[in-house]
Amino acid sequence: MANGTMRYSRGRGNAQLPLAIVVVLAVVLVLLGKAQSSLFDRARASFTDWTRPALEWVSTPFDRMATWFDGIGDIFVVYQENQRLKQENARLRQWQSAALLLDERLKRYQLLLNAVPDPALNARTARVIGRASHPFLDTMIIDAGKAQGVKPGEAVVDARGMIGRIFLSGERTSWVLLLSDLNSRIPVTIQPGNIQAIMAGDNTPNPTLDTLATTAPLKAGDQVVTSGDGGLIPPGLPVGVLVASGRSFRVALLADAGASQDVRIVDFKLPPEQPPAPSPDDLPAAVAGLKPEPPMPEQKTTPLQTTPMPGAASGAQAKPAAPAAGTAPAPKAAPKQPDITDNGGVQDQ
Amino acid sequence: MTAMSDRIGWSFRGAVGASIPFVCAVLGVIASNVPVSVFGALVPPPMFGLMPIYFWCLVRPDLMPPFAVFAIGVLQDLLGGGPAGVWTLSFVGAYAIVDRERDSFAGLAGIGAILGFAAAMLVAGAAAYAIISIYYWRLPPVAPIVVEIAISVVFYIPVAVILGFIHRRLVGPLRGDF
Repeated sequence: MANGTMRYSRGRGNAQLPLAIVVVLAVVLVLLGKAQSSLFDRARASFTDWTRPALEWVSTPFDRMATWFDGIGDIFVVYQENQRLKQENARLRQWQSAALLLDERLKRYQLLLNAVPDPALNARTARVIGRASHPFLDTMIIDAGKAQGVKPGEAVVDARGMIGRIFLSGERTSWVLLLSDLNSRIPVTIQPGNIQAIMAGDNTPNPTLDTLATTAPLKAGDQVVTSGDGGLIPPGLPVGVLVASGRSFRVALLADAGASQDVRIVDFKLPPEQPPAPSPDDLPAAVAGLKPEPPMPEQKTTPLQTTPMPGAASGAQAKPAAPAAGTAPAPKAAPKQPDITDNGGVQDQ
Repeated sequence: MTAMSDRIGWSFRGAVGASIPFVCAVLGVIASNVPVSVFGALVPPPMFGLMPIYFWCLVRPDLMPPFAVFAIGVLQDLLGGGPAGVWTLSFVGAYAIVDRERDSFAGLAGIGAILGFAAAMLVAGAAAYAIISIYYWRLPPVAPIVVEIAISVVFYIPVAVILGFIHRRLVGPLRGDF
């Protein structure tokens, strides 16, 4: 090989002292990276932003080539694939009907129970411009960053399920930590049974499940979805299905991070918990016999505030001081009240 | 005047020649970390950055000084996306071993040269594994780093031919001290 054909310099380059210094510097760098990782992350994000056009330029032909190669295989099974898709479409139509019925029923039950509705999700679409698979790291780079409102911690999903979450966002690009990465740990729920667990990546295609109750009855094929514990990731995002691995279980991910070209970044914020609104009788001003402040218009929007407390309802009837004030828009709020009765029932409109 | 310009020209050419090993390593690091999955992420990219380090550490260690190895390692960490310093310390560790055992490594040829690089890559991979284990305080799976070492050793065979060509045709003539 080439080494054997070279003429070697006999001198050692007096490298002993610089080598010792460099070893110390490298150790300091490791410790600094552990203590102040944000410095390195900022530099990395800036570099990725700077190289974004080049990344797009390089990744585009590879993506097209991969699509083309995938298409070659599909040509030979196009008839079977068409038949399979027709059958699947028929099954999905049945499921769609069932889902619509169940959705309506769920809405009715939520109304009956006066349940707090799920927070709305806001999603942005981004394109994958790079994938990096190293021995201790499994990431992808997308072409959306702080300029598009992407923040670290947000969940990234494709059409099939969750892929990972943002761990570093630059101005125009972001790094996504894939679910299979060594550092990935997300709270999940296993359905059916509502079993809580932590899904941990270990740089293999199928992440493991940690912190699981030892008596939890699991079986292969159970669905794994995000639990939303901690408030970082929205609950109910599909993640994968359980597969047996020896005596334990692993998660076969639904999303294919290697093939996804467009992903969605889910912006999720848990709404701040609202305390029950005080009734006019609870206000110190009313107790002192003063004119109460007019009610805030948004008070009638939250479910907790529209539910009249038993004591408050009787107190309002007993003391006509608030309606007598005249300036308070109480009559406008009054039509909302008959919707929900004191016993929690809902009247038909 | 002519002698001075010749001297300046010679110095410039020498500096360019001396920087080629470093530039090769930088290009290797970039090639390793281009975030494009050529093989559909089935195999990790080879550690191209370590190949010039090993090669010139044996052939001309004065052209691959420890500070250059440090800079290459920092670049590998920066582009790779992993924790800071992991590959820096691993590269420096591998360089230290190769430099210490240079007399043993330098005489290797053919399969021996490949095994020499495999030993260097093994040191770097083991060091990275150990640092990551301490960093996260748990043992990561061994298979990915073993695959990384194997794929790097396989790719060293054509890369060593290219590096040898660059050394003979570019570095030597530019420096004029062959």
